[in-house]
Amino acid sequence: MKNWIDRFHTCIDAWGEKLHEKELRIPVDLTVGVLFLLFALFIMLVMPQQVAVSEKDVINGRAFPTLLMRVMMICCGLLIGKELYKLLTKRPLTWKVINLQVEVKALAILAILIVTYVVCRITGLFVIGAVVCCLGFLFYFRCKKPAYYVITLVIAVAIWAAFRFVLGVDF
Amino acid sequence: MRKRLLSLGLALTMSIGALAGCSGSKKTSWKVTCPWAPSGVAAVVSQKAAEMSTKYSEDTTLVAEAIKGDAATVNTWVADTKANDPELVFVGEGLLSITSVLDPAKMQFTYEDFAYVENLYSSIFVLSADAKLNINNISELESYVAQADEISVAVNGATGSEAFLAASLFGAMGAGDKVKLTPYQSAAEAAQAVAKGETSFAVSHQSQILETYQQKGVTIVCAFDEKALEHGPFAGVEGVGESGYPYFRNRCFIMARAGTDEEKVSQLKSLYDEILADEEVVTWLQDTMLLEVDTMSKEDVEAHINNVLEIVNEYKDIVAG
Amino acid sequence: MLQYIIPATGLLFTLENILWINIGVFVGSVFAAIPGLSVILCVILFLPVTYTMTAIPGMMFLLGIYCAGGYGGSVSAILINTPGTPHAAATMLDGHPLSEKGRTKAALKIALYASTFGGIFSALTLLFLGPQVARVAAQLGTPEYFMVCVFGLTIIAGVSGKSMIRGLISACLGLLIACVGSDPMTSYDRFTFGISRLYLGLDLAVCLIGLFALVEILAKAEKRLDDLHMDTTKIKDDGKITKSEYKRMLRPVLLSSLIGVMVGIIPGTGASEASWFSYSQAKNMSKHPEEFGHGSVEGIAAAESANNAVTGATLIPLLTLGIPGDGTVAIMLSALMINGLNPGLSLFTTDGDIMYAIMLGLILVNLFMFIQGKFLTTIFAKVVSIPQEILTPIIVIFCFAGAYSINNNYFDVGVALVFGILAWVLRKLDMPPVPILLGLVLGNMTETNFRRALLISNGDPSIFFSSIYCIIFLVLIIVAVATIVKGKLSEQKKAQTVAVAQEEE
Repeated sequence: MKNWIDRFHTCIDAWGEKLHEKELRIPVDLTVGVLFLLFALFIMLVMPQQVAVSEKDVINGRAFPTLLMRVMMICCGLLIGKELYKLLTKRPLTWKVINLQVEVKALAILAILIVTYVVCRITGLFVIGAVVCCLGFLFYFRCKKPAYYVITLVIAVAIWAAFRFVLGVDF
Repeated sequence: MRKRLLSLGLALTMSIGALAGCSGSKKTSWKVTCPWAPSGVAAVVSQKAAEMSTKYSEDTTLVAEAIKGDAATVNTWVADTKANDPELVFVGEGLLSITSVLDPAKMQFTYEDFAYVENLYSSIFVLSADAKLNINNISELESYVAQADEISVAVNGATGSEAFLAASLFGAMGAGDKVKLTPYQSAAEAAQAVAKGETSFAVSHQSQILETYQQKGVTIVCAFDEKALEHGPFAGVEGVGESGYPYFRNRCFIMARAGTDEEKVSQLKSLYDEILADEEVVTWLQDTMLLEVDTMSKEDVEAHINNVLEIVNEYKDIVAG
Repeated sequence: MLQYIIPATGLLFTLENILWINIGVFVGSVFAAIPGLSVILCVILFLPVTYTMTAIPGMMFLLGIYCAGGYGGSVSAILINTPGTPHAAATMLDGHPLSEKGRTKAALKIALYASTFGGIFSALTLLFLGPQVARVAAQLGTPEYFMVCVFGLTIIAGVSGKSMIRGLISACLGLLIACVGSDPMTSYDRFTFGISRLYLGLDLAVCLIGLFALVEILAKAEKRLDDLHMDTTKIKDDGKITKSEYKRMLRPVLLSSLIGVMVGIIPGTGASEASWFSYSQAKNMSKHPEEFGHGSVEGIAAAESANNAVTGATLIPLLTLGIPGDGTVAIMLSALMINGLNPGLSLFTTDGDIMYAIMLGLILVNLFMFIQGKFLTTIFAKVVSIPQEILTPIIVIFCFAGAYSINNNYFDVGVALVFGILAWVLRKLDMPPVPILLGLVLGNMTETNFRRALLISNGDPSIFFSSIYCIIFLVLIIVAVATIVKGKLSEQKKAQTVAVAQEEE
């Protein structure tokens, strides 16, 4: 078993080293501008279906979200305009470097969170989800100290008990 | 050593604190859920009733709880409780007669899901006017309405009881198309709006307009009741019922889950009746909270719901468009 | 004021309140002492607990966390040269060098004394200034309130993050999220996309757990495993502070407390700005500026008194206008509002006894922070080295339990997860999360005042320029935007000059 875990970690490390060197550069201002412009347009598009209004209203429920989306579009326009101006004048754009290793690690953490959520939801028992969560993270951090496992699991159960019996949360 | 002991003492104190609130009791505790603001009239009266329950019953204790959320809170309550659970909830005409007509999708319950216990109180709303308009009674109001181009009224919530009382009064005066209801987030805010000159009128609970009235920011025009007010600082203010206009009182029905043993329900009703007959409670309700003690039978409750339903159906176009 | 003090004292001095203050102070100190855990995260995690309490114990608990967080951050800054919270960074400059000289306990003591003084000074300012500001606020009507909201949002959008435009986009996003659910004016559903549960809207605490807490868990991916392990220096000294050191501390503590209060009152600026500003002021005015950065007692005292002097001051705009001074107190607003306490003059009159109990309680919080700091510092120092393997899953469990407990359902836990992912994406795009938080908090207030004002004026937008208060706030917005834009442009220029100089080298 120990051998198998060590081999798994070695394999992961080698893969991680490869990913660590891979980086993604994105023109961040331009991306934010385009992304939120599309988002604002989408909201404006779905507004008639999503916000019911009465003809009698002087100022209806669409007025404020419409105002917000217009402000957002103006801001996006400014960001895009600024970056396009930089492109035209051949000045460097604002770039953001995204490391693939970091993103894969974040996905692994997200997987632990989702599994915890699904276990809680399916079993209806929060304490089981909490145990799964602890084991998931201890495995992620490659913890080899049995004491840490005991401490974490005891605290997890104690938190559940505090919410269940002291605060009266039924889960 | 001394410091260690002090540290230990402090840590112990905090552990006790963490456990504060855990206590056991052999009595039957009935949790009374108020689905409105914890500082609102219903929650405050419920708290008072809970305090008094120990005086009138040795085996039944009322525990007041307020969870703001209106229909959502009652939906959850209905979903989570079953017959004979020691749980009570408040519902009023707002849910049973207004939301059920205007937005039935929001309600995952009907009147049939409850077993009626008692009416906690009746509240008579009043119409206040900007002091500059100098309107002090219904006939002056009628004259004003006849010549006004627009009648702006501050109300608590767009489709609450206050909105329907305003709509029914001005609608019955033939000025439905002139009424502009301005919704505020709370009854207190709506009451202050008149004094700030944002609207000409406000419909509010008596206690919420009292401070503004005492500062001479508003005049009280009429009360939404059959007769003139009998108690409190607004005693003598005429009721709209005297002039033939529609009205209803704001009521707070205490409900158990449908199917709860009749014996239990009648025990609870007796407990509430005793609390509401207590002289201290009556005085407090009338003088401090400006409310009426108004115990009701099941038939009275159904008549109240139907009366409000009729008003809602007749004037919903003014309120909801 | 006096008529409220006596009933307020009666309401405040109960065993329950004293216990919650102490629990809050303890929890806040522990959280802030651990690098990577912020005060805002702690307040978010424990907010659902306060939903079951009444206003005074709930606020006492949160204020305990908030104030102690100001001091707790200095523990790790002094011990391991890593600020527990961002605002303890200035403390680190002198705290750690003094600790390296073998005076760890003395450094912690200076930080504690300065924090307590700053906190009490701030609480007294709130007590005396709060009701006066509330009186002015009472004269504001619907259009004025909308302008106040716009003012608060503009400043916060401007000062958080590197770009004002991004801040504004974030604020718009937060305001839009606040629109989900029942329309506050008509009760019609909005942006529910067929999900029936959404008609209740998105709970603030649930969104915040995702935006600020779960995203920090995802951010563990940014660190190497070895970086997550820390060790603390043992405290060996007697902690004695000489008379001359006390004398030298006096002036920076007084001045920094004043600076902290002034910075705290301005929405959007917080403890970090106050501590850096005070630190540089203290250095400029010191007779021994050469000692700064090498263990100066004045440096520690200035930074710590300033960051704690912010605590009471940030509550002034919150309690009087509903505009939170910083992100942490924005969360406290919901703890007040769930108990039916709405910001404004009525808070100081109708609910005066409760309000004064809370304001007096802030003084008490600082006193208990002092007592706990004096006797439990060794415990706070030990928690600095809690391994991440244990801490991370515990935080996740707190997040999930907190999200579930708000409405007793897993839907909210799912919402928190979605917001965690959204916050991660926004972080990758360098979008500041604080304007989203303010948008969520102020969304309802901004929209209802905007629409109601237009309803009153029958759709005429000139109502927003109709009163002297509206014009004052408009001028303030213009001045604030101009100042922020000017500041950002000069920052960019400086950065470009540095970049050019580096290229030339």
